[in-house]
Amino acid sequence: MNYRIQHITYQYAPEQKEVLRDVSLEIQKSAVTAVVGPSGCGKTTLVDILSGVIPKLESNGVLQGELELGEDALVSVVSQSPENQLFGYGVEDAIAFGMENMGLPAEEISERMEYVLDLLNLQYLRKRSVAALSGGQRQAVCIASVLAMRPDILIMDEPVSSLDPNGKKMVQNVLNQLRADGTTVLIVDNNLEWSADIVDRVVGLYDGCVLFDGAKEEFFRDFDLQEKLGVTIPQEAEIYRAIAKLNSGVEMFYSMQGAIDALDRIFTQKTFSVEAPKEVVGEAFLTTHQLNKVFADGFQALKEINTAFPKGKVIAIMGQNGSGKTTLVKHLNGLYKPTSGDVRYNGQSILKKTVAQISRNIILVFQHPEHMLFEQTVTQEITFCARMQKLEFTEEQVAEVLEKYGLKDDAETFPINLSMGKKHLLTILSVLFSNADVVILDEPTLGMDLHIKAQLEEIIAYLKQQGKTVLMISHEIPLVFKVADGAVILSGGKKVYEGSKEALSRREDIFDAINISLPPVVQLSKRYGFSKICYNVADFAQEAARLLALREE
Amino acid sequence: MDYLQYVDKDSFLHRLDPRTKFFFFLAMAVLTSVIKSGVALVFLFAFFLAIWIGCGIMPEMGKLFRQLKVLLIFIFLLWFVLGLFEQPPVEGGPIFYEGTVLNMKLCFDWYDFYKGLVYALRIYLMIASFFMVLITTNFSEIILGLCKWHMPYAVSFAVGLVFQIIPIIITELKAIMEAQSSRGLEIEECGVATKIKNYIIFSIPLLFRVIGKGHAISLAMHFYKLNFGVKRTSYKTIKASAYDAWFLLATAFAIAGTIVLRIFFYIPV
Repeated sequence: MNYRIQHITYQYAPEQKEVLRDVSLEIQKSAVTAVVGPSGCGKTTLVDILSGVIPKLESNGVLQGELELGEDALVSVVSQSPENQLFGYGVEDAIAFGMENMGLPAEEISERMEYVLDLLNLQYLRKRSVAALSGGQRQAVCIASVLAMRPDILIMDEPVSSLDPNGKKMVQNVLNQLRADGTTVLIVDNNLEWSADIVDRVVGLYDGCVLFDGAKEEFFRDFDLQEKLGVTIPQEAEIYRAIAKLNSGVEMFYSMQGAIDALDRIFTQKTFSVEAPKEVVGEAFLTTHQLNKVFADGFQALKEINTAFPKGKVIAIMGQNGSGKTTLVKHLNGLYKPTSGDVRYNGQSILKKTVAQISRNIILVFQHPEHMLFEQTVTQEITFCARMQKLEFTEEQVAEVLEKYGLKDDAETFPINLSMGKKHLLTILSVLFSNADVVILDEPTLGMDLHIKAQLEEIIAYLKQQGKTVLMISHEIPLVFKVADGAVILSGGKKVYEGSKEALSRREDIFDAINISLPPVVQLSKRYGFSKICYNVADFAQEAARLLALREE
Repeated sequence: MDYLQYVDKDSFLHRLDPRTKFFFFLAMAVLTSVIKSGVALVFLFAFFLAIWIGCGIMPEMGKLFRQLKVLLIFIFLLWFVLGLFEQPPVEGGPIFYEGTVLNMKLCFDWYDFYKGLVYALRIYLMIASFFMVLITTNFSEIILGLCKWHMPYAVSFAVGLVFQIIPIIITELKAIMEAQSSRGLEIEECGVATKIKNYIIFSIPLLFRVIGKGHAISLAMHFYKLNFGVKRTSYKTIKASAYDAWFLLATAFAIAGTIVLRIFFYIPV
């Protein structure tokens, strides 16, 4: 029998609005179900109810309806920040913690430990300390620790939101193994880009109600629903959406292999005729020279880095975690001083300036907005940089920005209370009121749904139009290729590429070396010999339409 | 503050039973509280030094010394100044100045230096003994050790959690300081008043981050079915080995040596 949620309605306080309204759904046993929906739709509340946080830890709300999970059903949760969830210094300590709390004898703990370590291929980590693990490894250990408790339902809350491509692949492998093992998994994430191949069913929540509950194929066919829910879908599914408008007979796909299988029936595979790559042209006004960084523990994070960032361009800084991306940008704004080498802005070394002095020209927006937000209202927060730099601004300008980016109603809200995506948007918007020429964005899409990501693209385009240089660290490769003019790629602290994205898109060797895949639009436009390499779905659709028209003629 | 964290090494001290290290700290805390003989304390310092070199933790101890130097200088100066108003309790030794200033009898002599050094060394050894336990015992071992001493699990877990959270808070504070300075807040070239004001600014996001972390930890405790009212089991066990016996023996000799030297070379301070 499947697990059932029957007519659940919840209010955090009797006088407050219902966060969930008459929610009824079925969680299939031994299947992977994705719960999607925009920020504030009630996903987290649903997780809290299923896991018993409501009403055991939060008992002030009003809960109606029924959970049919079976007697003594164990529901475990893997949160998006495993560093807050793992108790214990070593991997074994962390995995054993839940089982020890259940009072299992040492022999059984040992047996279960071996089972989960084997199942998830984590034996090589068992003697390591949790602090020394990468993000993906921590997430995998976290999954192992709850799995060892043998939960009836395993809930994963945005499990890859802060992971690099390697970390994502590791979690994907773990989920595939769980699926094969018949574990009931619920993934709560509005990003289906990484899990499209894994999930069996999708539940769409909107404004506290179930808007969709069905098979994933059905979900991927409903374009309007995807947009309404703000779900990030794989670029392959976006391509399908565009191609289906041109050729209604195309078979549905949402993975690279699926795309190749379906599109090979429409287009002929051709050798891509290489066109001369367009180099990133522009005055190089921010440069690094023989930059080396060795930390106190002897770890060399940067090795002889020479880069030249041009004016008025968007440059992506790419690489796996630990490749030196963040270390490099922290040298550009003065947070780190190099062990040797120099950083120059307009030909002048910035090494003797303070970070605050450098921020007048080069500003860095951090990955986690909570590190930056501290003002009382959204309006005050948005003008923070301007006030620090003693720049003038008008109330009308502030109101205009708030209106344009959907924060008008939140103008007097305490910033910490905004959704994660809006918090991130707010920290990025605050640089619009600074006079910095270089804006560095570290993982700007963290916590953003599809709508806020679209706003981010607008902001980047606006900054570029203003002649500003935008440096962006991001693991969202399709977005990078959509908005960037060029890229710097680091691997193991060394620069392995610097140049235009046009030249980069022809260098599969680099992507193989850093274990990152080129975006589907790039791969497919090369496969079918389009007249140019496409970097976004709209261009791809245009090229596809042109080819189809030519064929008809 | 990152020097307050466990250092992952495979030294003699790391391999000891946590209870042995707790005992070592308690013994040293008592010893340095009662011993005020310079010669005895120098002997104890030499014993500590041998452990640090033998265990390869000299860099960490050096870091601790650099962090404590302001405190140690303050303690030295405090007792040095108090010593100026006293005559040396024993005959002999150089006297640099003796006379009356503003109706106060002053005597600037070797004893003032001695007294300052003795008090500074006592404090340093006391803190160093705690630090040696801290950097060689991870929080999981701390919890196991305290439980073996029949401390309630709730108390042991709370102590262990503090040591787990300290590095997280340090990392958070550092990230907040970096984020705010990246947005234009001057924290490097500013006066004391501005620095204090800046710390108030940092404390607001830090407070919210810590509350957020606390909430996440309490949720995780729920997910892992932690219930202090229910008897739990333990996957790992700790057991004293020959290392512990040798270390306790060496500690006993060091304590005996310190007491003997205290008896024969005592100058009242």
